[in-house]
Amino acid sequence: MTVRQTFRPSFDALAELVAFTASAFDTQGIDRRLLPAVDFALEELFTNVVKYGGSGADIAVELRAIPNGVEACLTAEGVADFDPTRASPKDTTLPIEQRQPGGLGVQLTRQVVDSIEYEYQDTQRRSRVTFRKTLA
Amino acid sequence: MLKIEWGPQGAVVIEGRLDAAQAAAAQAFLDGVSGSVVLDCTALEYLSSAGLGVLLKTQKRLKAGAGQLRLTGVNRHVHDIFRYAGFDQIFEIAPAP
Repeated sequence: MTVRQTFRPSFDALAELVAFTASAFDTQGIDRRLLPAVDFALEELFTNVVKYGGSGADIAVELRAIPNGVEACLTAEGVADFDPTRASPKDTTLPIEQRQPGGLGVQLTRQVVDSIEYEYQDTQRRSRVTFRKTLA
Repeated sequence: MLKIEWGPQGAVVIEGRLDAAQAAAAQAFLDGVSGSVVLDCTALEYLSSAGLGVLLKTQKRLKAGAGQLRLTGVNRHVHDIFRYAGFDQIFEIAPAP
């Protein structure tokens, strides 16, 4: 069973997103050990739309249990084409003097989830990111 | 929600979730910290890349003045994020037991 909710494109909606995700885990019996990683990936994808999307349209999040884990999907409309699966990684081995804050969200998301897929529809400028996270 | 305040023995205690919604408040507090300080993360449940940015900015400023943040009581999720970001090389981190 997929559960779905839409959220205002605002950092202030993060608490609501967290509550929705926790509730979805509980109602679908998804192992809570996966929750921090799923919260992380959803926050990073969500805040990217808030920061760079620009359309002002609500962002839809869907969650469903899969064997041994969860599949999550974030859909945004009226946004530019940005493929998080292809974003260039930053060098995380640099010394502190050469590190600058920011730019790690998508890269870290790819590391915390098992798989991530991206689709973009030009006509509606609709971006859809789906990821899966399972227990090892 | 996030709570950040001075705790016992001069440590800064951070509790809750350091996410994009709370990053500005955390940065405002840490901008007032100087020297070498322990950041007690025992009750820090969650951290996102926004939180990483706050900590990196603070560490850069403190290290420029020969100080630093030392992180203690770091849980598994937070420690994993630090490792993926390479922050285990620029912070002294003591994981939660």
